[in-house]
Amino acid sequence: MKNRTTQLLLFAGLMALQPNAQAGDLFAVQVERAETISHGTIEHAVILIEGDKIVMIGEDLAIDSGIPVIDKDPGWVATPALVNPYSRMGLSSRGPSGLNPQRKVSGELYTGAISKDVLEAGVGTVGLYPAGTGIPGRAVAVRTWGSGDARILRDDVYMKAMMRSDSTSKKTWRKGFEEADEHKEKETKNREKWEKDREKLEKDAKDDDKEKADKAKEELKKPYTPLVPKPAAAAFASLREGELTALIGISKSSDYVHFLDALGEEDVQWSLHVPISRESDLFHVKEQEALKDRHVIMTPAFSYHPGTLRRRSMAAEFFSAGAKVTFVPTSDSTGAHESWLRDVGQLVRDGLDSQAALRAMTLNGAEVLRVDEHVGSLDEGKHANILFFDGDPFAATTNLEAVLMEGDFITGEVDR
Amino acid sequence: MIRFQARFVLALVALALSPSLPAFGAAPLIDDEEAAAEEEEKEPKDRYLVVLGADIHTGNGEVLRDGRLLAKNGKIVAIGYDDFEVPGLDYDREVPADERGYELEILDASNVPNGRVYPGMVAFSSSGLLGGGGDYRDSIDMFNRNMLLGLAAGITTTGQTSSTAKLKRYVPGNFSRDYDFDGVVIGGKTLSTVSWGTAASKRSAREKLAGAAAYLRTYRQWQVDVKKDKELKEPSKSGVDSTMLAVLRGEIFARFSADYQDDLSGIARVAMEFGFRPVITGCREGWVVADELGRAGAMAVLTPRTRRSKDEQLVAEGGSSIENAAILHSHGVQVAIIPGSRGIDLGGIAGRDIMHLPIEVGFAIRGGLPDDAGLASVTTVPARLLGVGHRVGTLEVGKDCDLIVTDGDLLHYQTFVQYTVVDGDLVYDKQDELYFAHIRPRDDSLLAPLVPFDPAEVPIEEEGDDEGEDSEEGDDEDE
Repeated sequence: MKNRTTQLLLFAGLMALQPNAQAGDLFAVQVERAETISHGTIEHAVILIEGDKIVMIGEDLAIDSGIPVIDKDPGWVATPALVNPYSRMGLSSRGPSGLNPQRKVSGELYTGAISKDVLEAGVGTVGLYPAGTGIPGRAVAVRTWGSGDARILRDDVYMKAMMRSDSTSKKTWRKGFEEADEHKEKETKNREKWEKDREKLEKDAKDDDKEKADKAKEELKKPYTPLVPKPAAAAFASLREGELTALIGISKSSDYVHFLDALGEEDVQWSLHVPISRESDLFHVKEQEALKDRHVIMTPAFSYHPGTLRRRSMAAEFFSAGAKVTFVPTSDSTGAHESWLRDVGQLVRDGLDSQAALRAMTLNGAEVLRVDEHVGSLDEGKHANILFFDGDPFAATTNLEAVLMEGDFITGEVDR
Repeated sequence: MIRFQARFVLALVALALSPSLPAFGAAPLIDDEEAAAEEEEKEPKDRYLVVLGADIHTGNGEVLRDGRLLAKNGKIVAIGYDDFEVPGLDYDREVPADERGYELEILDASNVPNGRVYPGMVAFSSSGLLGGGGDYRDSIDMFNRNMLLGLAAGITTTGQTSSTAKLKRYVPGNFSRDYDFDGVVIGGKTLSTVSWGTAASKRSAREKLAGAAAYLRTYRQWQVDVKKDKELKEPSKSGVDSTMLAVLRGEIFARFSADYQDDLSGIARVAMEFGFRPVITGCREGWVVADELGRAGAMAVLTPRTRRSKDEQLVAEGGSSIENAAILHSHGVQVAIIPGSRGIDLGGIAGRDIMHLPIEVGFAIRGGLPDDAGLASVTTVPARLLGVGHRVGTLEVGKDCDLIVTDGDLLHYQTFVQYTVVDGDLVYDKQDELYFAHIRPRDDSLLAPLVPFDPAEVPIEEEGDDEGEDSEEGDDEDE
């Protein structure tokens, strides 16, 4: 910690030496407690923010006198802004069926925006998934403010695949890999043909007929042009290579088992999305080895053991079994976002670990969206998307005092 | 009532303690990863199941008092007494289970009063037991509640619209083995419906049959002639009804839906004329024309509880009769039995849905059907109709190990299925499932303790120890 303090002093000193540095861009917030998510809780934390980034966070950091400090210790608790990795907010719910892994949600961003209430409820990042059934396309991670393409944090964050217990879903999934295989085969043949042609051209180049030789030499200069793959083939090839991840939408345990059957030996990165229904039977598969450390996106809802009124918490059970539980609001409505913390709070009061619950609303969602290097936790270098509460975020009486997004206070009256 | 409430509360306590339910704060079991990885690479171990401690009713008429049955990888390999050796029981006793080259499950039914082993029942048709639709290999819901209730009713195989499938539940706690998708569907379509309701449809069926029969005659002549003249062309099938051809060739059953004696006689006559065995569903007035149906070699799918008085304009006998199954059977008609409702019905009037196959058979027995024919009506006969008689329906060496253990005569209305085994896997244990554990509990268990007590007075951790009798059994149940 001492080392950090020195760094900070040095940094502040450097700032002072640079007359061009805008003093208004740099400020610090001191809070009673900061939940970093990535590296635990920091008591009496100081968060130094420059522009839109967190530049330093630590316990009782010494702040250079020139830097404005918002001192809310005791009182405030800081957490990263919330991340909802699965939403259609502001977008049409119509979509195609079948195999369309090339479709991008980023192409329909102009059609709608997200309500400011969602931003003010503390949600900073949203993953917009493609509408439709089968494999309808690729999601995009966006900011909850701004408009158009300026909102995009990252494109192609995951490929959505609906998996139901039926032949159609399984065939759609397998067809993607088959097309990738077909393309690979064609490509290999094409390459072989090109190489054979080359050999022939090389012979021709040594031909006595000058005209023929020159023509061959000219041909030899041309580089190999790979075949253009079908969109589905390209997408499934990048799935195999790990450039693209899949989000598998299921509704019950058997869907998951059928997905594993359809997946076979393929090695791809995937997460699960499952809305929790009243009599969810998901507990059947929670001990599955393949679900360890896997992101399982679910709604913060209780269910009942089938045929009984015995309440079960799938979130707590999956967390205990080792899955990376990730929460999304119960619906895309503004109200659901506003009550999101409260809904998760119900599960926390029922026994879900509160750190895990907070992580499930922030960093895990950011990981699903593959934007965890920018958002999802309070770390140096990440976007300054921070929520300030006047107590435990999950307590019913707690207020969200201020919302900071990329260095700007969206809500909260704050004196610097 | 108080007793019931106490049980209900206990059932909840038991649920809370049951190992499949959440255990907050419990550290996950971490196995030696390397060992686990090694395990995976190996060939799957042979899987043995031995059933003992009960009378084995093979479904062929034999009963082995206190016999033993051994299954290997889902198939029955031995039935008898101690004339065969059971691995892990007759030898390898000292070898720890994880060092054996095989897995052994012992289903000891000696704790079941009046325990009997029967073949798993075959439902001629059902709906909703598999949870899917279309191709069940890709759509089965192996966690389906209705499938569990079907297994609790003793059904292990069911006919579907165009296939025959097993009630293959995902074996609880056995996630090391992959789910056997390919074992779900065991047979294709064996029945083709022939419309027999109106004069026109009867005429049409007869014409198609005549056409197919004529074709078969020319075809057989060609088979003879082609040996002399190899150039001779096979007769054209154009205009010949392919279904009826398949029926006459014995490749598929013609299925008629008929209840009235006139219709039934007509089916019998057309079957005798063209030489095929008709399958008749309904067959309510079959008892009036049983001799004709017997001569035609008919097979009937009955619902013995059907009640309908006869058409009073008729002088002849008619209407439903409780003796229908018995009379048809005595005239040589093979009888399969199916309840009025093909689904699982948890509301309304109990006892008429697919969960009550034996009750339905009980009515036929009340009307005089012999016990063995009663058992056959829910095992071998439907298995034959569905074309899977070589795999299921009886307990014989080489057949699938699909069996149930009951606490008495299967066809007695008070009898419960205690265990159900499908393909050598124990997939239902009455004491472990919510639905019937509390009714005449087999032995002490958390879901249904023999001595009711106030859970508020009992420290939860010591649940297993505070019962006087059978406390060890109670612990076993909780494993």
